[in-house]
Amino acid sequence: MAGQAQGGRKRRRRDFHVVLGLVLLSLITINLPVESQRVIGNGLRESILRPFIEVQRIVVRTRARARDYLVVRDQLDSALTFVASATTLADENRQLRDLLALDGRSPSRLVAAWVIRSGTTGSASVFRLDAGSEDGIRPFDAVVTDRGLLGQVQEVGPGSSMGYDWSHPDFRVSAMTLTADGQAHGLVEAARGRYREQDRLVLRGTAYLSDLQRGAEVVTSGRGGAYPRGILIGWVGEVAEASAGWDISYYVEPAVYPGTATYAQVHIELPEDTLQTVVDTGGPGEATGGSR
Amino acid sequence: MSIRDGIVVVGLVVVHLLLRIGFGLQNAAPDLMVLALLLASRSLGPGGGALLGFGLGLLEDAFSMLSFGASVFALTLVGTAGAQAQGLFVGRSILFQSTYFFLGKWIRDLLAWLVSNPDSRDAFVDSVLMQSPLAALYVAAAGLCVRYLFLKETVRE
Repeated sequence: MAGQAQGGRKRRRRDFHVVLGLVLLSLITINLPVESQRVIGNGLRESILRPFIEVQRIVVRTRARARDYLVVRDQLDSALTFVASATTLADENRQLRDLLALDGRSPSRLVAAWVIRSGTTGSASVFRLDAGSEDGIRPFDAVVTDRGLLGQVQEVGPGSSMGYDWSHPDFRVSAMTLTADGQAHGLVEAARGRYREQDRLVLRGTAYLSDLQRGAEVVTSGRGGAYPRGILIGWVGEVAEASAGWDISYYVEPAVYPGTATYAQVHIELPEDTLQTVVDTGGPGEATGGSR
Repeated sequence: MSIRDGIVVVGLVVVHLLLRIGFGLQNAAPDLMVLALLLASRSLGPGGGALLGFGLGLLEDAFSMLSFGASVFALTLVGTAGAQAQGLFVGRSILFQSTYFFLGKWIRDLLAWLVSNPDSRDAFVDSVLMQSPLAALYVAAAGLCVRYLFLKETVRE
């Protein structure tokens, strides 16, 4: 009996130590640097969770193919019409640029990818793309749909990448409005609604005297270099807040609702357009890394 | 833990990942991960429950860019508490069983909310007092189904 009681005590003490250690470890996990958290998450996604991600990819593609056929057909028709009516546009543009001695536009291309969302807890605002570094995608590339800006790539693997949409608290994009009386610049970020469905965008930092009309288009300004210039973000809504005499913020009705995006393009700047070229020419072996 | 219990627990985790990740059902599917943990922790003891919770939490957080580690912390504590609660929730009573599952899920969500990034989490009332109890009811219903369909003979008297 005494031996049994002693064994029970030992087991309880061992359990206590295990629990204490794991609770401490879980608290450490929460406070790990973001890079370390990403390494752990990526390791799990590429190993244990890989089969489920493959199932997800198949399901998403099957659903999208079944549902979007008519939509894609309409888009194809529109695109063909646009191409037919704009055959001379590129040549005219080149000639005008030559006349004005302007450099060519930034060379870039779009990589098409499926947008796949995980249903697990805490994965709101996060999406996976079924294209990665093998397709030329790098961290911080812009993700767009046919309607406008969706978000930004954050982590890149060989065949897939992860990013967040504009509803993520860390999302920021420098923006401008194009109005008849000039441009207004500012920074667009997410504004949480009471429920996630009510999330929207806010254009902050515009001049106090700028009087933006409702419905004015808000597009990326290209400042900072993370997002190419001219991608539609949304439309100006009502005034969100104003700091007397300093600046004024406006709500922005988003052009893309993240939940509806199943298919997107990643905006890739070609190497010769970036500072990477300078690094490349400066010395070999320094060409990796994607922060811009 | 018997082999059959183990198979059911592993099956619940696999089905959870299939429904939530594979089929993207999100909250339309019950949280079978926490259900598996609650079922397993009763026979694993506090240390085993915490270890299982820690592992399942890591799987859950693999897609999280907002609050990595919140599920790890919550499920570790729920696994421990589930093992400690075996003296409280005994018998085949539907009330006992459903209360155990309900509280397990609700406490999991509460703990995850407490350690989540304040910038990204929903308001306390909406998340913990409105959405979470509904999700907990869903888990309780699923738990009772699993208990009486697959674990009938191993229910404690």
